[in-house]
Amino acid sequence: MALRSDYEPHLERADSYRVATVIATDDDNRTADGHFKSRRKMPTKAAKKENLDDLKQELDIDHHKISPEEMYQRFQTHPENGLSHAKAKENLERDGPNALTPPKQTPEWVKFCKNLFGGFAMLLWIGAILCFVAYSIQATTSEEPSDDNLYLGIVLSAVVIVTGIFSYYQESKSSKIMESFKNMVPQFATVIREGEKLTLRAEDLVLGDVVEVKFGDRIPADIRIIEARNFKVDNSSLTGESEPQSRGSEFTHENPLETKNLAFFSTNAVEGTAKGVVISCGDHTVMGRIAGLASGLDTGETPIAKEIHHFIHLITGVAVFLGVTFFVIAFILGYHWLDAVIFLIGIIVANVPEGLLATVTVCLTLTAKRMASKNCLVKNLEAVETLGSTSTICSDKTGTLTQNRMTVAHMWFDNQIIEADTTEDQSGVQYDRTSPGFKALSRIATLCNRAEFKGGQDGVPILKKEVSGDASEAALLKCMELALGDVMNIRKRNRKIAEVPFNSTNKYQVSIHETEDPNDPRVLLVMKGAPERILERCSTIFINGKEKVLDEEMKEAFNNAYMELGGLGERVLGFCDFMLPSDKYPTGYKYNTDDINFPIDNLRFVGLMSMIDPPRAAVPDAVAKCRSAGIKVIMVTGDHPITAKAIAKSVGIISEGNETIEDIAQRLNIPISEVNPREAKAAVVHGAELRDVSSDQLDEILRYHTEIVFARTSPQQKLIIVEGCQRMGAIVAVTGDGVNDSPALKKADIGVAMGIAGSDVSKQAADMILLDDNFASIVTGVEEGRLIFDNLKKSIAYTLTSNIPEISPFLAFILCDIPLPLGTVTILCIDLGTDMVPAISLAYEHAEADIMKRPPRDPFNDKLVNSRLISMAYGQIGMIQAAAGFFVYFVIMAENGFLPMKLFGIRKMWDSKAVNDLTDSYGQEWTYRDRKTLEYTCHTAFFISIVVVQWADLIICKTRRNSIFHQGMRNWALNFGLVFETVLAAFLSYCPGMDKGLRMYPLKLVWWFPAIPFMLAIFVYDETRRFYLRRNPGGWLEQETYY
Amino acid sequence: MPTITEDCIDGFQQYYSRPPEMPKKKSIKQMIYDAEENSYFGRTIESWAKIGIFYIIFYGVLGALVAICMWAFFLTLDPRIPKWKLESSIIGTNPGLGFRPLPPVDNVESTLIWYKGTQYENYKHWTDSLDEFLEVYKVPGLTPGRGQNIYNCDYNQPPPRGQVCDVDIKSWAPCTKENNYSYHKSSPCIFLKLNKIYDWRPDFYNNSQTLPADMPSSLKNHISELEKTDPIKLNKIFGWMPEVYESPINEMPSNLVNVINNTAAEERQQIWVSCNGHLGKDKENFQNISYYPRQGFPIYYYPYLNQPGYLSPIVAVQIKSPPLGTMLDVECRAWAKNIIYSGSLRDRMGSVTFQLLID
Repeated sequence: MALRSDYEPHLERADSYRVATVIATDDDNRTADGHFKSRRKMPTKAAKKENLDDLKQELDIDHHKISPEEMYQRFQTHPENGLSHAKAKENLERDGPNALTPPKQTPEWVKFCKNLFGGFAMLLWIGAILCFVAYSIQATTSEEPSDDNLYLGIVLSAVVIVTGIFSYYQESKSSKIMESFKNMVPQFATVIREGEKLTLRAEDLVLGDVVEVKFGDRIPADIRIIEARNFKVDNSSLTGESEPQSRGSEFTHENPLETKNLAFFSTNAVEGTAKGVVISCGDHTVMGRIAGLASGLDTGETPIAKEIHHFIHLITGVAVFLGVTFFVIAFILGYHWLDAVIFLIGIIVANVPEGLLATVTVCLTLTAKRMASKNCLVKNLEAVETLGSTSTICSDKTGTLTQNRMTVAHMWFDNQIIEADTTEDQSGVQYDRTSPGFKALSRIATLCNRAEFKGGQDGVPILKKEVSGDASEAALLKCMELALGDVMNIRKRNRKIAEVPFNSTNKYQVSIHETEDPNDPRVLLVMKGAPERILERCSTIFINGKEKVLDEEMKEAFNNAYMELGGLGERVLGFCDFMLPSDKYPTGYKYNTDDINFPIDNLRFVGLMSMIDPPRAAVPDAVAKCRSAGIKVIMVTGDHPITAKAIAKSVGIISEGNETIEDIAQRLNIPISEVNPREAKAAVVHGAELRDVSSDQLDEILRYHTEIVFARTSPQQKLIIVEGCQRMGAIVAVTGDGVNDSPALKKADIGVAMGIAGSDVSKQAADMILLDDNFASIVTGVEEGRLIFDNLKKSIAYTLTSNIPEISPFLAFILCDIPLPLGTVTILCIDLGTDMVPAISLAYEHAEADIMKRPPRDPFNDKLVNSRLISMAYGQIGMIQAAAGFFVYFVIMAENGFLPMKLFGIRKMWDSKAVNDLTDSYGQEWTYRDRKTLEYTCHTAFFISIVVVQWADLIICKTRRNSIFHQGMRNWALNFGLVFETVLAAFLSYCPGMDKGLRMYPLKLVWWFPAIPFMLAIFVYDETRRFYLRRNPGGWLEQETYY
Repeated sequence: MPTITEDCIDGFQQYYSRPPEMPKKKSIKQMIYDAEENSYFGRTIESWAKIGIFYIIFYGVLGALVAICMWAFFLTLDPRIPKWKLESSIIGTNPGLGFRPLPPVDNVESTLIWYKGTQYENYKHWTDSLDEFLEVYKVPGLTPGRGQNIYNCDYNQPPPRGQVCDVDIKSWAPCTKENNYSYHKSSPCIFLKLNKIYDWRPDFYNNSQTLPADMPSSLKNHISELEKTDPIKLNKIFGWMPEVYESPINEMPSNLVNVINNTAAEERQQIWVSCNGHLGKDKENFQNISYYPRQGFPIYYYPYLNQPGYLSPIVAVQIKSPPLGTMLDVECRAWAKNIIYSGSLRDRMGSVTFQLLID
C-alpha cells in the first residue's frame, strides 16, 4: 500500500517533523480541499518530499474549519443516518482498519543472524573456516590426517553458534517484556450507519462514520464533534495537559489541537456525551502520526553499544594485526603455508575473548533484573548502562515529579494562611480544625462540591481513592474527608436544594442547602469560584467568628494572600456563603437556576483554598542525589510556568537561593532586558519563547543555566530540547508518559516511560519503564547503571588479562621454535570455562566509593576499555601471568628431561611424526607419542597456572583504587567463582577421558605450585600500585594505570 | 549556604565537550607527530621516557623474579639424573625405535629414503648422514668420558658400575662406511636403535611359556630346552621383571621366532628386532633381509643410566636387492615382553616405520 510507505522509518523524518510543525502552527491552509484526495493519490515520489508534505498536513487539516454541511458532503455521510453500509465497506477496504500500524519489527531471523555474525563472531568464523580448510587439505594430502583441525573447527563453530543463540535468547527475552504491556482488550464504538445504532469494534470504523461517545470512553478515532452535551476530554496523553477540556460543536481555533470541535483518537472522554464524524483513522490520526514519527526517529547506538563496538574494533584490530604479522613472519621463517594458517588460527583464538560478550550480556541482564526489582523495567539491555552515563535528565512534571493528584495545599481564613498536609502518607503538618473560620470554610468546601468517591473502595486510603469529578473538586473532597470525616453523610444532612454548576463564563459554582440545624429554617447558599469573582460578589468577610465589612484593608489582605498562593503555583479558589433569610425564601421556595431568583451578591466571604499537584515525597531527595551525581535535571512540562517553577523549587530543580532573570529583575527593580542573563543560574523558559529561539540561543540557555525549567512546551519542542542537550554532548534521559512525549523518548539516549500512567505509545518508544512512575526510581537506576559500568570495566580487565598468557605461547612457538606451550583447545577452556563465572561474578561487586558523588562519565574520553586498561591487562598483569605460564612450562619440560636451552629450535623435530627418537637433555629418546603427551601435559599445566594467577587477578580486579583489605571478600558470587574455576580446572585435568577429549592430562600436584610466586607477585604489585594511587591522587601512576 | 556537595555540583554541571573532529589525513599526520603538543604517537618525548622507564623497571623486576624462580628450580634438578624416571616420567616405560639415515633436515616430516643406486651424488646424503651418526662409534674419543670407561661386555659380563659397553662396528660388515653401507649396490643398510629411557630394563623373550601364541613350535622347543639346561641363569635374569608383561598381545612373525630358536641360549638375552613390509604387498617384496651383528639389542647395554660415553646398541638392517622403482613401506619392531606395540601413526609405540625407494 502506498499509504503505508509514508510511515516507514526515514532518517530525515526528525528534521522534517520539526520544520513542519514549527512553521505550520500559524500556517494558512492553502491546500484546503485536496487533503484527503491528494494523500490518497499521492504517487510514490521522492521519499523526503513526501514526508515533508505528509507531516506538514498534520496541523493543516481543515475539517474543523469547514461548515458541517460541507463536511457531510466530503465524507458522503449524514449526521442522523450516518454512512451507508456499502460506503462504509468501501471505505474500510480503501483505508484499512482503524488501528495504529505496529512499529516495524526486525524479522527474527535477521536478529538471529546479527547475533550469529556480529561482534567477534566473524573473527571466530574465519578461524573455524581456516580450520576446515586446513583439515580438508591435510585430509586429501595425507593418509592418516590428524583430526585436530577438524576438531578445532567444530569447536569454534559450536562456540560461535552457542554464544549467538545465547545472546539472541537474552535479547528476545527482554523484548518480550513489551508484550505484557500490550492492551489486548478490544475496544468498541457506537456507530450510526443507515440510521441504525451499531456497536462495532473500533478497528472497523471508517472515515465519515458518525459515532457517539460518552464519558469513560476512549475516543475511537479523530472526530469532529457535531453535537455535545457537557462533553469534556482528557487530552493529557496527546498534549500533556492534565486538565480536562470541554469540547463542543463550535470551531474556535485555527489550530486543530486547540479548537473545540475536534476530539482525538485514544484520548479519553471524562464527562458528558457527544456525537461526531470520523475525520481520520488509524495511522492518519494525530496520535498515529506522533507514534509514526517516534518509530521513524533514528535513535542511534546506546553508549554501551558504542563502547563495546569500540572495544571489539580494538581487539579485532589487534587480532588481525598480530595474526597477519605472524602469518607473514611464519612465511619468512620458511614455514609451510598450512602451518602459517594454523598459527593464524591460534592467534585469532588466543586474541578473541570468546566468552566476553556473553559475560557482558549476563552482567547487564543481572543488573536489569536487579533494576526491575527496584521498579525500573529495562526493555533494552544496553539501556541499563545508558542510565548510568546520563548527564542530563529531562523530566516531565506531572506524575513523575508530582503525585498527579490535586491536593489542597493552603487555606486562607481568619486572615492567615494555613498550610495543609500534602504528603502522600499524611505525615506533614496539622492545623487547627476547630476555629469558626475553618468550620465555615469547610462547610462550603464540603457542600459546594459535586465530586464523589467512586464505590467499592472501602479499604483504600482517602488520598488514593478514585473520585468522579474534576481534579479541584476531588482535592477539596479528599481534604474535607480528611478534616471532617464522612463527607457524604454531612451532605446528606445538609440536603441540596438547588445548584448552579460551574461554567467558564461565570467562573463560579453555587448551591443551596438546608442546614443540619433543624431549628434554623433558613437555607444556606454556598459559592466557590475564581477568587476575584467571588470577592466581587461579597460585601462582608468572616474573620475570627465575626462578620466584618469587606473594606479596602481586608481587600488588600485578600489580595496579598491570593498573590502569595498564586505565586506558589497553586490553583486558588474563593469561597463564600450566605444564609438566605427565611422570610423571603421559605421552605418549598422554587429556586430557578437558569433565571436566578435568589441573591448572589453581597455575600459573606469566608476564605481561600489553594490546590497543587504536590511533589512526590522521594523526589526532592532524588533530585539532590542527581545533582550531587553531577546530573542536570531539567523540567520539561506542558504546565504553566508559575506552577512549574513552584514545583521545581519545591523539589530542588531550582535550588534555594538561585534566581531566574525575572527574579533578579524583580529584586533589583530593573527591566528584564537589563539583567545579564549569565548572572542567573536558573531559568524558566516558556514554550512561546522557545518557538522563536534559534538553536544557538537554545545552546546558550542550556549551557549557562544550571537549573532550567521549560514550561508550556509542545512535543516538538521537547524534541528540540533533547536534541539541544545532545548537541552539547550530554547523554540525555527523558521521562514522559503521554503520546506527545514519545518522539522525545525515542530521540533521547534513554527514554523512560511511566508504567502506570504511561500510554502504550510512550512505552513502545521508551527504553525503560518506571513501574511505580516515581522519579526516585530513576536515581536507583542511575546508580545501578554506574555500578555496572565500573564492574564491566573490572570484568573486562579480568578477562583481557588472560589474553597475554594465551597469545604469548603462540608467539614463542613461532619465534623461539619451542614446542607449543598452550594449545587452542586449552585457550577455549580458559575463555569459555574457567574465566566465565569469575568474570560474571564481578558484576556483583559493590561500589568502591559513593558512585553517586562523582560526575557522570565523559562519553567522549572515559571509555569502557581505554589504553590504561589495556596497558594494565596486557602490559603488566598479563605479562606476569605469561611469565608464570612459561615458568611452569619450563619446569615440566625440565623435570621430564628437556632443559630450557634444549627446547629452543627443537620445534620442527618435536612436531614431526617422522622423528621417533628425539633426544632430551638426559640422553633419553622420545617417541612422537610420548613427546605429544609431554606437550599436552604442558598445555594442561600452563592452563592450570593461568587459573592460579587468575585467582590473584580476580581479587585485584575487585577494586580499581581501594585496597582489597578495605573492600573485603564479601562478594560471595566472586568467592564461588574462585572455587568454581579451581574445581573446573581440576576436573578438566584429572577427569578420566579428558586426555582423549580435550588433550588434558593429569598433573602432578607439585606442578600446581610453580605459578604461586607469580600469583603473589600480581597481588603484591597491584596492592602496591593502588596504594600509591591512593596516596598520590592524580599522579603519574594514576594517569597511566587507573582504568 | 553552599555546602561541599553544592560546590561540587557547579564543578560537575558542565557538559563534556565533543572532541574536535579532524580531517582524516590531518589526524593521521597528527597521530604520528602533533606539533601543537610536540607529541609523537600521542605522547611527548618526556612522557614516552617515563612510561618507558616504568616498563623497563617493571619487566626488569619481572625478569628477576623469573630468574630467581628458575635458579631455585634448577637447584632441585640433577644434571645427570632426570627428576622423574620411568612410570613417574611422561616418557614412560615403553621405548620406541629410531632409524638412520634420516631424510634431510628441511624435510623433517618425511621418513622416505629415496636415492638412485648408481649415482654416488644421489646417495651421498644418506651415506654422509650415516657417517656422521656412526662417528661416535668409530672414534671412542668423541664421546663424553673420552672412551675411558668402555668395557667389552658380554652376556655373562655385564658392565661394572660407571663403565659402558662397547659397540663393535666391525661386526656390521657389510654395512660399513668402507662399503658405502651397500647403498651403491641398491641393498642399503638401515641402522636401528632402541630409544634410550633412563633406568629402563628390558624383559626379553626367553621363556617358552611366554612366547607369543603363534610362535613356531621349534622356537618354543628351543626355549624350553634352554630352561632345562640353564634354569638358574634364566631365573637370575628374570628376578626383577614385572609380571604385567607376561602375556604378549602381539603376534611375533614366524621368521623371528625361528631366529630366536636358532640363537644360542645365552645370546637370547636380547631385545629382538624384526623388520617387515608394512602392508601385505610390501611383505611379499620383502624377503631378503639381514641383521648385523645380530637380530636384536643385547641386554647388557641396559639399563641406560646416562653414563658418560654410553653408546646405544645398534642393529644394521640390510635390505638386499629390493625391487627397484617401487616404494617399500618398512616397519621395524622391537620385541620384549615390556615393549607394547602400536602401529598407528600418531600413537606409534615399540616400532618405527620408514619408506625405501630406490630408482
